[in-house]
Amino acid sequence: MPDLAWFVVRRLAAAILVMLALSLAVYLIFYALPADPAHLACGKPCTPDRLEQARHFMQLDQSTLQQYLNFLKGVFAGRTFGEGTAAVHCNAPCFGYSFPLARPVTTLIIERLPVTASIALGAAVLWLLIGVSLGVVAALNRGRLLDRLAVGFALVGVASPSFLVGLLAILVFGFWLNMVPVNGYVPFTESPVDWAWHLITPWLVLALIQAAAYIRLTRAQMLEELSLDHITTARAKGAGESRVVLRHGLRGALVPIVTLFGLDLGGLLGGAILTEKVFSMQGLGELLLSAVGQLDVAVVVGTTLFSAFLIILANLLVDIVHGALDPRVSHG
Amino acid sequence: MPDELLRLDGVRKYFGVRGAPWREGKAVRAVDGVDFVVRKGETVGLVGESGSGKSTLARVATRLLDPTAGTVAIGGADVTKVRGRKLRPVRRKIQLVFQDPQASLNPRQSVGTILTTPFRAQGVRPTRAQLVDLLRQVGLSGEHLERYPHEFSGGQRQRIGIARALSVQPELLICDEPVSALDVSVQAQVLNLLADLRDELGLSYVLVAHDLAVVRQVASRVAVMYLGTIVEEGPAAEVYSAPAHPYTKALLSAVPVPEPGAERDRIVLSGDVPTPIDPPSGCPFRTRCYKAEDVCATKRPVLEPVEGSTEHRAACYFPETPTL
Amino acid sequence: MADRPVLEVHDLHVTFRTENGLVPAVDGIDFAVAPGRTLAIVGESGSGKSVSSAAVMGLLPANADVKGEVLLDGRELVGLPADELRAIRGNDIALVFQDALSALNPYYTVGWQVAEAYRLHHSVSKKEARRRAVELLDLVGIPGAARRAGNYPHEFSGGMRQRVVIAMALVNNPKVLIADEPTTALDVTVQAQIMRLLADVQAEFGTALVLISHDLGVVAETADDVLVMYAGRAAERGTVRDLFHRAAHPYSLGLLGAVPRVDVPPRPRLATIPGTPPSPGSITTGCPFQPRCAYAERVGERCVTERPELTPRPGEGDHEAACHLGRRPADA
Ligand SMILES: Nc1ncnc2c1ncn2[C@@H]1O[C@H](COP(=O)(O)OP(=O)(O)OP(=O)(O)O)[C@@H](O)[C@H]1O
Ligand SMILES: Nc1ncnc2c1ncn2[C@@H]1O[C@H](COP(=O)(O)OP(=O)(O)O)[C@@H](O)[C@H]1O
Ligand code: SF4
Ligand code: SF4
Ligand SMILES: [Mg+2]
Ligand SMILES: [Mg+2]
Repeated sequence: MPDLAWFVVRRLAAAILVMLALSLAVYLIFYALPADPAHLACGKPCTPDRLEQARHFMQLDQSTLQQYLNFLKGVFAGRTFGEGTAAVHCNAPCFGYSFPLARPVTTLIIERLPVTASIALGAAVLWLLIGVSLGVVAALNRGRLLDRLAVGFALVGVASPSFLVGLLAILVFGFWLNMVPVNGYVPFTESPVDWAWHLITPWLVLALIQAAAYIRLTRAQMLEELSLDHITTARAKGAGESRVVLRHGLRGALVPIVTLFGLDLGGLLGGAILTEKVFSMQGLGELLLSAVGQLDVAVVVGTTLFSAFLIILANLLVDIVHGALDPRVSHG
Repeated sequence: MPDELLRLDGVRKYFGVRGAPWREGKAVRAVDGVDFVVRKGETVGLVGESGSGKSTLARVATRLLDPTAGTVAIGGADVTKVRGRKLRPVRRKIQLVFQDPQASLNPRQSVGTILTTPFRAQGVRPTRAQLVDLLRQVGLSGEHLERYPHEFSGGQRQRIGIARALSVQPELLICDEPVSALDVSVQAQVLNLLADLRDELGLSYVLVAHDLAVVRQVASRVAVMYLGTIVEEGPAAEVYSAPAHPYTKALLSAVPVPEPGAERDRIVLSGDVPTPIDPPSGCPFRTRCYKAEDVCATKRPVLEPVEGSTEHRAACYFPETPTL
Repeated sequence: MADRPVLEVHDLHVTFRTENGLVPAVDGIDFAVAPGRTLAIVGESGSGKSVSSAAVMGLLPANADVKGEVLLDGRELVGLPADELRAIRGNDIALVFQDALSALNPYYTVGWQVAEAYRLHHSVSKKEARRRAVELLDLVGIPGAARRAGNYPHEFSGGMRQRVVIAMALVNNPKVLIADEPTTALDVTVQAQIMRLLADVQAEFGTALVLISHDLGVVAETADDVLVMYAGRAAERGTVRDLFHRAAHPYSLGLLGAVPRVDVPPRPRLATIPGTPPSPGSITTGCPFQPRCAYAERVGERCVTERPELTPRPGEGDHEAACHLGRRPADA
């Protein structure tokens, strides 16, 4: 589909423009803050001399615009701070350098991504399963007890803050029942079982909360779909109820569900801040949170841009998948 | 000419269409070069199959849509470029009545409020007596003023739509499928109402309809549209009894008549109306025409007087000749 | 009337349980149709035509109560277990809907949808079903059927879509075809094509056709017998000539007078029936047509107090009307 390729190219080009604008905005906002990153780096006692030195080293003594251009240059060509033996290299793509952590931001993101991705993907699969199946059940039992239960569950889920549910889960399953580990992350490559075992509680917590929106969406979409004429056609052909509901009804409800799913997942991959915090997992969200605490502007800017990129990417994918799922779009 | 209420010259209306976001937009040629005149006292029927551009033409004529090309003159004045507030006096002369009485009335407004709105748009405040008068004209009564659209039947709602259009005392009503959502018995009531209003108020109409029998019942003149163009027009009696364009002839022959065993020479057209995104070259009807020859593909035929008539015109290289 | 009817409906009642109480949408109707013949059911919207056909197919929603007999080849369908009914639906009786676009599932190709109808009643391979689908698409006059089978409904014109729906209905060689306003959404030129197709199919396969329509022109051209419904009841029943030449019920007469005609010069005024049809169940005693009937005064009290039943017209064969007026209205 050359049309599709062309569309992707255009969208990516647009995405780059958006990222540029966004990075500028983020840069300006964070550098306009009164906090001075050089202060943190200059150590104690921080004499004006050493401060000046630090500023120079971190290239903070240049104009804001120049700094932004340096940042851009770093993305494409990498950059070097200082000279000679003291020099610090940040290879392309360099999204900034964290002096407090003494690592390039890119490396930090790459290190942290598996943690966040593990949390997000596992939870996503769960909430999709829970949300869609409960939504279908609710729609099929519209107005009856099962429907009320599912809708009530969704209401609670929507209203619960994730950190509260998380803490509660830790308290009940971790401390009282002592069933699951309450914190820490084990890489998948080390031990898949431990990996899953450590993640099960955050997955469930996130899934229960996120599933709420999917229950409601699926229920509404299914009710709508099942009222359509082509559902009657399917029945008139002699199709059984399960076929009518799944092959014909759910198929139509899929498009909005997948759309929401893509956007949610894209957002979550950028950092499940509260979940990571509550379960003490060193993911992207936690990285951002602690960077904000330490005024580590480079990390804040870098992770923010990364999250934004993921969201833009998710949007693009959702558009493409939408086309693939709806023949009225792709076979226009 | 002073008695020309509406004159369209060379009107085109193209719509951009969007497919998938990664596809090129194309233009739908909804109306593709139409000259159309309505004179005082006339009821002009605009017929044609779905998608032929009738509604689009009606909306261009009422200045609800800007034409892509061509001019719209109302009451002798060119209003193609008139916009915003200046349109008010124009709108006053020419009103549109919609197909779906359900969709065109705001369900949260009482009939009184609905009827007041057009007055407001003209900057007037109607008296209750005026509103009651309006309702009487369309066969309803004052007690209906406080009611809401859902409390009425389809036919009554269409009457309310007509009353609303009449409120600004227009000279020309453009009715887009005014009866196609109604049952036969109610349809007849509304058609009779339109005829009565014409006689009482000296109204003129453009009646957009796909039902050729409905148009025959009320129209003094008809224009037949196909793929955005008018292929035949003339006095209703002539067009119906001696259609000159092969399309009109086929169209009329396809209408079933309520007469069991009636002998009819039916011309069953093959195929469908081509897409207005990519209409055929030359005569737009040539892909389905039973008389098409090579010349038909070369240049689009223009409306020309039919043999033995001045008012009756058809756009065809090989028009049917009346068999007298 | 040589053949025994394949479909017989006796004293059919359909009542909907709604929030506003019971709605008697169909209040005792009878009809029968023999192989190769066409019965038209006419009446204004809301008179119960579609509900009757849905009742025959067993496709009514759960809030509908059906009473009476629906006999297919002598076999009672009312009260049949769901799976037995499913085996009949789409196989022995098939339905053609008014709006082909909404009757087709937008997410599947038309070939798939026709094939599905076949596979639901035949245990054949997908390939075999596909072949049958193409055969049927070809039969109903879709040019390039093999290729077009891979297209989605929105890629067809209205007329072609209705052909697809007809192909889907015919794929199992049903004995009875119920067509609920099959051409109302179509242009006249396309309507002519579709009506010709239905006639050809009937001639070839001897299908019994129940044609639901409010277009008296279509009825006059295609029907053998006609049932005129008014407010959920039968007003008149007879051959097509009985209705058009010897209409016995004031309502039938009113309808005929209200239809504008394309083939004769216009009358100065169309005849009208004053008022509008009653909502179901609002008229409980007497004749449901009484408030709109021009002859009620001539008959007097009986029209208000006594419900007229279908009674044979003396000397007119099977022609029946439900009216207290003894003579033909035209002579009254
Ligand atoms: N806003 C729009 N955008 C794109 N295409 C449009 C738009 N409005 C109308 N069209 C297209 O223009 C053509 C003419 O449409 P129009 O509504 O005028 O037809 P019509 O003759 O009134 O048909 P009908 O009998 O179905 O009402 C159609 O192909 C239609 O799809
Ligand atoms: N699901 C339903 N619940 C309640 N009333 C219904 C339902 N379906 C149809 N009706 C009512 O039954 C009557 C007959 O409807 P229908 O058979 O669709 O009429 P038509 O003759 O136009 O096909 C109408 O008054 C309609 O409002
Ligand atoms: S110009 Fe040719 S194709 Fe067009 S209607 Fe006349 S005969 Fe047919
Ligand atoms: S029974 Fe009476 S009211 Fe009913 S149709 Fe006959 S004459 Fe009219
Ligand atoms: Mg229209
Ligand atoms: Mg119906």
